[in-house]
Amino acid sequence: MVRDTCRHLWNKTNLRDGFIVTENCYHCNKSRVYFSYEDAPPKDEYKEGEHYFNYAGSAQSMKFDLECEECKAVVTFEEMMGLMQCAGCDQSCHLNILSKICEGQNIWVYAALAYNAGEEIDLSVDKLDVLTSHYTSRLRTPGKKILVVPGSLRKNPATCRGEMLRDVGMLSLTPET
Amino acid sequence: MTVKELQSKLNLNALNAVSDTEVDGAFISDMVSDVMAGAKAGNVWVTVQTHKNVVAAANLVDAPAVIVVRGKKVPEDTVQMADKVGVTLFATDLDTFQIAVKLFEAGVRPTT
Repeated sequence: MVRDTCRHLWNKTNLRDGFIVTENCYHCNKSRVYFSYEDAPPKDEYKEGEHYFNYAGSAQSMKFDLECEECKAVVTFEEMMGLMQCAGCDQSCHLNILSKICEGQNIWVYAALAYNAGEEIDLSVDKLDVLTSHYTSRLRTPGKKILVVPGSLRKNPATCRGEMLRDVGMLSLTPET
Repeated sequence: MTVKELQSKLNLNALNAVSDTEVDGAFISDMVSDVMAGAKAGNVWVTVQTHKNVVAAANLVDAPAVIVVRGKKVPEDTVQMADKVGVTLFATDLDTFQIAVKLFEAGVRPTT
């Protein structure tokens, strides 16, 4: 993916604004999440296979890719929706356990939430490593580190109370369709 | 200038422990995504937002302090999270423009 000999200094590039849209099927309650680049979040109801998806909410956010300042390699993050910090809701959740272990070492854990065709997936290990390197390299506090981990560390995404870093409640600033 | 010195100069009300971390510039936005994209380590962040995601974003970009303007009430879970990650939370009745002027007068500038 990227040149191994380079020590890589990752900067954000290709920033694009949009909406993280959540939809639910009103028959089976299956939910799907996707990113919309439209000026306002789509709210149309539609049928896909056996599912009838309805708009369930949206939040403003942005996507980006990372480009190495040294070797100009670009890593794309089209599948990533955002980062989430553990809220500590479930003592047996792996994300919670890892976050607590790392806190004592001034390492702050963020889960990368990624989706493909509406379904949650994990970012590749390479991409998690690039994100970790990017966020940690921007820090100034001595000894502090950021660790980006896969979203699947959450025990139960449906009940997880951690919240993605996105702009909920800003829709009053956006023209409604 | 440290966060403590900034508190004194701007007469800010601290909601949790005030750190001795050095402030380097300011970033003003009410959008978490803006901060994630544009804020630099050391920036003090000025916002009307009080959700605990503000603290998660400040921690991610290594902002040592957040100034919540316009007298917004900051929820207890936000203060607790700020304590945990070591981000100082300030509250003020001043609006964003007034705080921006005071930051400028104190020598704090936007960073590019």
